[in-house]
Amino acid sequence: MAQNTHTLSVNMGDGNLHSGNITSSFNSYVYKTDEDAEIMRWLSPLDPSNRHQGVSTERLDGVGNWLLETNEFREWRNSEGAADNVILFCSGNPGVGKTYLR
Amino acid sequence: MLLTTRNTSSLVIDSLCDQEGKGDTIVTGLYCDFQIQQEQTAANIMGAILKQLVGRGDIPEYLRHAFQAGKRNFGGRRPRLLDVTEMLRNTIASLPQVFICLDALDECLPKHLPDLLASLRDILRESPKTRIFLTGRPHVTEDIQRYLPKAVVIPISPNTDDIRDYLEMRLDKDSEPDAMNDDLRADILRIILARTSDMCVGVSLISALSVIFTYHGYT
Repeated sequence: MAQNTHTLSVNMGDGNLHSGNITSSFNSYVYKTDEDAEIMRWLSPLDPSNRHQGVSTERLDGVGNWLLETNEFREWRNSEGAADNVILFCSGNPGVGKTYLR
Repeated sequence: MLLTTRNTSSLVIDSLCDQEGKGDTIVTGLYCDFQIQQEQTAANIMGAILKQLVGRGDIPEYLRHAFQAGKRNFGGRRPRLLDVTEMLRNTIASLPQVFICLDALDECLPKHLPDLLASLRDILRESPKTRIFLTGRPHVTEDIQRYLPKAVVIPISPNTDDIRDYLEMRLDKDSEPDAMNDDLRADILRIILARTSDMCVGVSLISALSVIFTYHGYT
């Protein structure tokens, strides 16, 4: 059972000195041995990758882009090293659209 | 779907994964879900983050040892939060920069939340370059601020543009296009947007929809 969908490194921007490698851990990964897969299950039974795919696919293009443009978000994402703004908390209702408008 | 904190999380995660021009970063995260609350202990949530970091390459020896030691004792003991936090702290400290995104903290059991927040605090202390993104209903704000007093709070609610985009998408996908015409479509957009501009979207929006649909004999 080495088929544990979980993690994989995706390197983006290879070959370009000016763009770093952004590694997403939201993709599938096939473990080398059964023990590797067992270690991963032991570490946590939770598997976030499928959930992200689902939520991400349902999202409407453009919705929420304003957040990415706020100073708070930009500072949080772009600041280097230790900074004042290292934790963002978005507070609101998790499922207005889904719960009430289906 | 309208802008919700869940969508916000997926948007932020996708935008972090897509961004270029920044140093080496690794994006990790988890969507909490009340349906699996019992499984969502702080140890399992932080374990899932560690899984995403170590699963990218060969499993580190320290983790293999911890697993084998756990297996020997007590009929296969699961890792404790203390162990997971320690492993996660060391792993993150050895990496350039890690983003941790946790969605819907209010869907964790209240007894697990303080442990989870304390674990995040410990990681930040060790690796201050780590960036943490959290979402949740407003009532968890107090807990978050107790453990992570520097957290910047951004209230999320759909704005008019979000609602218009959403309505247009739903109208385009209408399963009975014959019952729709341009006037009705314009009415729906106008009335709902007028109503939502000064009220909290949610239950109110569905009531506005039902008023309009009833009025037009359209379901």
